[in-house]
Amino acid sequence: MDPHRIYEIRCPVHGYIALNDWERQIISHPAFQRLRRIRQLAWTDHVYPGAMHTRFEHSLGVMHTATQLYDSIVRNARAVLRGELGYDDAGFRRNRQLVRLAALLHDVGHAPFSHASEELFPDQENGGGKYVHEQYSAAIVRGPLGEAIEDHKLNQGNYAFTANDVAALIEGSAGAKQGIFWRDLITGQMDADRMDYLLRDSHHAGVQYGRFDLHRLISTVTAIPGVQGGPPRLGIDYGGWHAAEALVLARYFMFTQVYFHKTRVAYDIHLREAMKDLLPGGHFPKPFPVELDEYLKWDDWRVLGMLSEGKGGEHGERLRTRNHYRLVYQTNEVQSEKDRENLRRVRETLGDLIAAEMPAGKNWYKLDDSDIAVYRNEDGQTKVAPLSEYSNVVRHLGKNDQILVYSLPERKRDALKKVEEAIHGLE
Amino acid sequence: MDWSERQDARLAVITELVSRAPSGHVGRTALMKFCYLLQTVRGVPLGYRFTLYSYGPFDSSVLSDLGTAESLGAVRSNVVYHSGGYGYRISKGDSSDMALRNGAEFLEKHRKDIDWVLDLFGSHGSAELELESTIVYVDREAARNREGLTFDELVQRVRDVKPHFGEDFIREKVTVLREQGLLKSCSSAATATG
Repeated sequence: MDPHRIYEIRCPVHGYIALNDWERQIISHPAFQRLRRIRQLAWTDHVYPGAMHTRFEHSLGVMHTATQLYDSIVRNARAVLRGELGYDDAGFRRNRQLVRLAALLHDVGHAPFSHASEELFPDQENGGGKYVHEQYSAAIVRGPLGEAIEDHKLNQGNYAFTANDVAALIEGSAGAKQGIFWRDLITGQMDADRMDYLLRDSHHAGVQYGRFDLHRLISTVTAIPGVQGGPPRLGIDYGGWHAAEALVLARYFMFTQVYFHKTRVAYDIHLREAMKDLLPGGHFPKPFPVELDEYLKWDDWRVLGMLSEGKGGEHGERLRTRNHYRLVYQTNEVQSEKDRENLRRVRETLGDLIAAEMPAGKNWYKLDDSDIAVYRNEDGQTKVAPLSEYSNVVRHLGKNDQILVYSLPERKRDALKKVEEAIHGLE
Repeated sequence: MDWSERQDARLAVITELVSRAPSGHVGRTALMKFCYLLQTVRGVPLGYRFTLYSYGPFDSSVLSDLGTAESLGAVRSNVVYHSGGYGYRISKGDSSDMALRNGAEFLEKHRKDIDWVLDLFGSHGSAELELESTIVYVDREAARNREGLTFDELVQRVRDVKPHFGEDFIREKVTVLREQGLLKSCSSAATATG
């Protein structure tokens, strides 16, 4: 087999995605193939029937997008990277490959139905909250995928990466050393993950909300020189700020119309609760070497099989019969103190009529900060400013803290009546 | 602590840190690193999940909470420009009392921790905080992996991720943090050489 052969895979978003023989072998590993059985958006197909795509194609897309971003940054800011990070040509090649592998494998640790069941990850021993999927990804990279990463001829002859090099960049640990700079391409304001999922989720859901000018964004992304002793940072050249603005708006629209859609959120709740019933002890195995094999056995097929056998308790039944919780109250997206007071009244009045609540801030796709640095260089005069300096829309895009309140379907009418009383009582 | 209680606690801590900052305002980097140090060193249960970036430990949820605090008027934020870049000046907002009231119990419980972080780090610049929090991060990561690091090993690991800082400055900071008893993997018994 020719270790230098290049392969291409068709992608509905990016066209052809090229990969080398080393990456192809990693993709062929059962731990990666499992991603074909992890749906990207859980039960979103119950709202948008086309949204049946998987983490498999997304992972390929992130590798492709991260590479394009990397190449563009190197093209636009070669001198900055050479000066501040000391790269020579070999350094550029090495980091490019590292970014590709980290991007490819960043989601390999996802649980069945992606984020919907993440709350069932076990607690960490050090009191640092629950494990997150990136920690599972890193553990799988170090463990089951280690050999596929380390033993290929392309690695041994050119890079000598250890699996730990890749894992460190995924999870954000000191082992990434100077390469930590590139972590923003894997998970950050302008990361390849976000760019790919917005376009891919839009494509499969059949909506236009997540579209933005990817090519313009890629061509204008850059590394901005560090100031006051700080490292360089990723940003966008001035000419690309409208594309960056569109990315921010695409996130906003996708969040409100898809990721935080009332019915999708209800199904996430049922799925989580049903999974609690299906998992031994109510949680996933830990990302430890002895438990990883067991963890990797969990995928959508297994869960669907168990659900189809009638397992999963009350919530399994709700999933099977589409008898999901119903939305009875929602706060405004940007909350004022009055909204908070209204919510308190609704909670008091509804009491046990409330079956579940879901705050936007708990959603993995939540809208966080939209601070993207914009770099302007005119006649030798440089200026770095936040995107909100130029974009009136971004400046006024308030933080979305909406909370959705649900009742049982059979109690929806009573709950709505109570909500009316609660709100009317305030006026 | 349920989600909304935690949210109230976080907003109260952010508002308190901003309100009590020695200069009357803080930057985003300072706020991020204060939260990191409070949670990591003092064990204040803020529920953030910090991971390492080239600019030190970071969790976008801190900025997300800052956005909520701004929306509610608990703090206000302005962009300030300096040579080659920009930052944020975050100061107390008109509705800060409301945020402090909602998280009063949590604040009371962790009053000493907040005093601690402001006393020890409140007057430090953003680059300094970035380095200090990175040292703590690297140290705690090693401790979690049950690695005992010598002084020199810790300095080298920090240099590997923060090559912009001179070695002398890193050594100076590691020495201070170790003397303050804030490091776990690099015990005071290890020898400071070089």
